[in-house]
Formats: sequence, C-alpha cells, structure tokens
Amino acid sequence: MADPIKLAYFMAVKEGASYLGGLLVTDTSGIPLDFRYTEPITPTRLQSILYGKSLEPHLKEEVIQKTLLKELKTPPDLFILSATELAGGWSGDAKYPVLAVQKSQESPLAKVGEAFRAGPRELLIQLSEGAAPLRVMFAASVDAVAQEQAVVKLLEAGYHMDLAEPLERVTAALQSLVVKES
Amino acid sequence: MFGRMKDAVADAAETLRRAFAGLNVVEVKPEPFRFQSHGSASLAVEGRAGLNPPVARLHEMCLLSQAVEGRALEPFHAELHAESGWARWGAEAEVVRMTPLEGGSATRMAVPPLPRKAQTLSKLEPPVRPPTRRWADSLGQPGTRHLDPGLGSVKAESGLSAMLSLAVPIRSEDIQRLPKGLWMRYSLQLVRGTGENVRNLEVLGLFRIPRKGVADLRHDPGQGRILLRLERLAVHAARAPFILARRKDDGSLVSCYVEDP
Repeated sequence: MADPIKLAYFMAVKEGASYLGGLLVTDTSGIPLDFRYTEPITPTRLQSILYGKSLEPHLKEEVIQKTLLKELKTPPDLFILSATELAGGWSGDAKYPVLAVQKSQESPLAKVGEAFRAGPRELLIQLSEGAAPLRVMFAASVDAVAQEQAVVKLLEAGYHMDLAEPLERVTAALQSLVVKES
Repeated sequence: MFGRMKDAVADAAETLRRAFAGLNVVEVKPEPFRFQSHGSASLAVEGRAGLNPPVARLHEMCLLSQAVEGRALEPFHAELHAESGWARWGAEAEVVRMTPLEGGSATRMAVPPLPRKAQTLSKLEPPVRPPTRRWADSLGQPGTRHLDPGLGSVKAESGLSAMLSLAVPIRSEDIQRLPKGLWMRYSLQLVRGTGENVRNLEVLGLFRIPRKGVADLRHDPGQGRILLRLERLAVHAARAPFILARRKDDGSLVSCYVEDP
C-alpha cells in the first residue's frame, strides 16, 4: 500500500510589527497530522532599515518557512500556500512542489477528475460534480512533469476534502495564538 | 423847536457814521481752547542739616584817584577844500617799467623711452599671510562597532492542540460513484447498526473520519459536509467510512461506522 498523501499548508502573517508563520500537515481528509508555528519575530528598527523591502520576503521564505520545514519529521508531498504569496514571486525551498489553490468562478469542466491547462503554470481541475473548478498555480521551480504528478495527488485529496480550506484554519490558529500570547 | 433838534441829532448821527465808516474790522480768531494738564510734582522731603551760622563778608571800596578833567566843546569851523580831477588822476597813476629778457643757461633733458611690453602682475599675494597652527592633539581612531543585522534563528513550537480546537470540515464522498455492491454492503451495515428500517432512513453522506478521538460532530447541510472537533487521539487513529443518515419520521440523525470489505 502506498504511503498516504501529506499536504503541507504554509501561511505567514503579520500581526502588528511582528511576523509569525504556521505549517499544517494534513492527510487527504484534511485532518491535522502536525502543526508547527514560529514564535513572533519583531524586527528592530535597524533591521527594517537595512533590509528595506526585502525584509518581508526574507522573513517568510528564509527564516519562517525554512525553520518550520526543518521541524517536520516526514517531508510533505505538496507544499501549498496562498495565491497572494505565490504571485509575489515565491522563491523558497524547491524540494517539494510549491503551488497555490484558489476557488474559481469558471464554468464546470465536463467531468470530475478532468484537468484543463490555462497556462504554463496554471491549471483548472474539476473535483466535484457541478461545482466550479479549482484553480491550481505552480511556482516557477515546478516543471511540467512535476505539475502532472501534483495534479494526480490533488485530485485524489480533493475527492475527500476542500483543498483550499486548511489555509483558513492556519490563519485562524495563528491569530488565536497571537491573542493568547499578547 | 423839535424839528431843529431832530435835524441836529440826525446830522450828528450822520457825522459819526461817516467818521467810523472807514474803520477796518479785524476779525480775530479765537485760539482753540486747549486743555492742558500739569502734573504736580510729588512732595519730597529733603533733609538738611541745621542752619549755618551767619558769615560776615568784608568788601573793600576803592576811592577814585584819577579825576578826568572835562573840557568845553569847541565850536565847528567850516573849511573849503578844492581838488582838481586831473591832478588826482596823475597822482594815482603808476608807471611800471619792464626789465628786458636776458639770455640764460639751457640744459638738455633726456626723455625716458616707453616700455615695449606691458608688465603683467602675478597673483596678488594676500596682504597678510595667516599664520598656520598645527593641532597638537590628533583625533583618535574611531571605534567600530559590529551590529549583526541577521534576524537570528526562530524557535518553532508545536501547536497541534490549538489546531485541533478548530473544527475540521470533512466532505462527503460521492455515493453515486461507489460500486453498487459496496454501497449495498454499507447500507446493510447501516440498518444493522441503527436498527432502523432502511425505508425510514435518508442517507446524508458517507465520510471517511478517524475511528477514535472524535469529540464532536455537526452536520453542515448547506455544503454537504460534517464538522468534526477532534482530540489528539484522532491524529493517528485509522480512518473508517462513516455514514450519517436522518430518520424520515422524526428527522433525528443516526450514524454508524461501516467496515471496508
């Protein structure tokens, strides 16, 4: 029997002047297997000046993401983040297929399990009958072959769970942690 | 009698009128009244010592020693003087005699030549050269400080308990896509597990959920899913198919785990 698919959902948020991130690993039902989060990082004024505009990407990709991935005991099959983060030019770790999923307003595809390529790094996949297809966007580091393999895993997981929903849970968990610590 | 009196009075009146008719009336403009206020000096008390004793002064009178003798005025005597104009002209004329020019000694003077080239002046020197002073004490070497701009390492913590406190939505599997024999098997297990007549049951969904550690379960009919609140035990528990159904007679929910073949 093949190993169950593990999906890693990454989210980094800014609360006030602090940054913190969380990484949720779920099975194909969306049930949490692991959840790690970083303690809030508050850059000093000098660090903000020296890093400038590169402060936020550096914190999210180099500091928060790498720290969280190091903590994982088993590597995930897919690394999923928000569409906003991916559109901002994600250049993080390329060990895993990095992608973003987003609910679309497109008309449903012909049948469940069908995929439609909308661009070199963008696909639409039909996960349930009659619903709008899910938009999948891959990072630049994911080649076409890796994209096809990732789509197969997404279709399998999407049969049981809402693929975009766990990111909302990560955000809610981070906000509850910030409130608890403050 | 009265007529003569009247004429006399009229004449006198006419006489007076003519006498004063030529008088000029000078209009004197009255000066505007100016209010002037004078402040009064404040009273001051001046202290003085007692009265000085009277001092006697001696004045010496000089007697007139030289008397001037007055003489009587002499009477004026008129004298006739005559003067001729020509004699006066001749007496006031002056004859000027000019001395003739005499030969003198002459010396030759050499004319200095004009310069062939204009002289250029070099840069003007300052009228006063400021004296330079040397700072005896040299500035010390500035101390450098190293401030590491690195953001350092971040500590990651496990927050699985916090994550499990959030509801986990589980989507129903598509029953129509299941093999018919498998669905028959599941239906039979549902009837046995709930003890209900299959005609009285309406299946809401087939979900794959942890066999252990489910603390709470809610049905979300709008999206055809269930919301689970899980315990830590559920993380590593095996997943099993779970059927949720509603009784048609009273609308209550029934559920049971079913076994995979």
